[in-house]
Amino acid sequence: MIRADRLSKTFRVHKKAPGFVGSVKSLFRREWVTKHAVREVSFHVGEGEIVGLVGANGAGKTTIVKMLAGIIHPTSGDSEVLGFRPWERDNRFRRQIALVMGQKQQLWWDLPAADCFLLLKEIYRIPDAAYRERLDYLATALEVTKELNVQIRRLSLGERMKMELIAALLHAPRVVFLDEPTIGLDLTAQRAIRDFLLKYREDHRPAMILTSHYMEDIETLCERLLIIREGEIVYDGRLDAVVANFADRKLVTAHLRAGEPIAASNGNLADLGDVQEANERVVTLSVPRTQVARAASEILRRYPVADLTIEEADIGVIIERIMRARGDQKP
Amino acid sequence: MRRYLRIYANFLRFSFSRAMAFRLDFFFRVGMDAIWYAVHLAFFWLIYRHTPLLGGWNFDQVLVFTSGFFFIDAINMTVFANNIWSFPVLVNSGELDAYLVRPVSSLFFISVRDFAANSFLNLIMASGILAWAIARYPGELGVVRVVVYVALLLVGTFLGYVISMLFLVPVFWMHNASGLREIRFAIGTYGERPHQIFHGWVRTVLVTVVPLALCASVPAQVLFEGITPALLLHVVGVTAALFLAFLWIWSRALRAYASASS
Repeated sequence: MIRADRLSKTFRVHKKAPGFVGSVKSLFRREWVTKHAVREVSFHVGEGEIVGLVGANGAGKTTIVKMLAGIIHPTSGDSEVLGFRPWERDNRFRRQIALVMGQKQQLWWDLPAADCFLLLKEIYRIPDAAYRERLDYLATALEVTKELNVQIRRLSLGERMKMELIAALLHAPRVVFLDEPTIGLDLTAQRAIRDFLLKYREDHRPAMILTSHYMEDIETLCERLLIIREGEIVYDGRLDAVVANFADRKLVTAHLRAGEPIAASNGNLADLGDVQEANERVVTLSVPRTQVARAASEILRRYPVADLTIEEADIGVIIERIMRARGDQKP
Repeated sequence: MRRYLRIYANFLRFSFSRAMAFRLDFFFRVGMDAIWYAVHLAFFWLIYRHTPLLGGWNFDQVLVFTSGFFFIDAINMTVFANNIWSFPVLVNSGELDAYLVRPVSSLFFISVRDFAANSFLNLIMASGILAWAIARYPGELGVVRVVVYVALLLVGTFLGYVISMLFLVPVFWMHNASGLREIRFAIGTYGERPHQIFHGWVRTVLVTVVPLALCASVPAQVLFEGITPALLLHVVGVTAALFLAFLWIWSRALRAYASASS
């Protein structure tokens, strides 16, 4: 449903030296810098898929979303969404997509959401019965039925975002772009929106692209991940495969029995792995995958272990490492 | 077309709901515009105390012309002005994004979405002044000429909108439109005076390249001097040409639109 083929976007940015002198100089002589926001990005997203687009600030996530939603033109490359070239802005294309921007409000601030939805009903030519049915479904699922007639500006941030979601989904889009839909929300509101998106995906099976800085969003909602670094895709694959591909260490944690003496001959912990924590109650080591069995048996031999756990490294930490690594570095 | 009318009906509903919510602003705007009308009329009244003719027009004719200008201005303030002034903000803040993904003309949306309900009373007031100025005019005008005059004023309103948008659309490339907006304001004064008082290239510019004279002054000329096909064709032709030029620039502008970082 969504196909990006070597999409690139460059911006020409005016560079100014700091201070007043710099401002005066730039008035007469401009220095321009070409910024490669997105470089030859290719991928596809199928029906019912929620693909997470993650990357550091300025990595190019939102630029990709804006090109696919038809807001900006690419510098080069091509794309097809539902059989249309997005930036040609064919109304048949725009009728089937939705864009939710967590940082930008699209509803009328001074009006109740119900009024704004009536306008969207006209814009998207939603028949009366379908409108009533969808509004009822969405408002019930997001638990905001009572707030529909309250002015947007009087709603909490979480409620406002729920109304934005209703506004985006009223016309039953087949492709949904979610650009940081949970940004700034409290944990309860974040969870409610995640639960809703999962249910909506199950019921309607649109293709969705989600950008978020919250790992919880990505882990809960996405099976597939695109990691963007400096405008390039550095990983395109299943979320769980990130761990297998990039986590070369595991965490071995031993909870020790209280009051039992630790043998003097227990040797140096550092020869088993990187020591994360070591005291009379807990020992935690980060151990290379190939050394996990040996490290575990050594800990069992040397310490009075009450409980032993072996965990994969935190996925958020791994993804962050991939995102932050420079182009020439292995994450 | 019917869908656009229904969408516009929603805009009207939104605007009136909002305007009623802010009563003081509602009445303040009416009062402010009433003073503005009075200052304009007083300006010409003072001038005509010292001269019987201005650009070949007597006081009664200038009164009709000025009333026509009030009428155009009131429609512009009610239908377009809020939208035109906030348009550069939409472009620079990236709020335009939300309009570009909707399956309606983005130009329609950004041009008329904010109907100034609090200027609507002024439109009624301006229409009243225009009707009074035409009714008290001592010469013979005739129904057809009056109808054509009002039609030309409506064309002039649209032309005024196109000229304003042409001044602001470079914001897509320049990212700051305050200078252009000031220029538009400054040259607007030329449209508030009878075009016969200007001569040479200034007059030529005012009826062709920046055709502010076609908004209110030339329609008044048609009313007083009679309908000539060449003049009608000129008004409609220049309006259509400028609108087409604007549409072309608009499509280039949307291509250049970079949105704003989130």
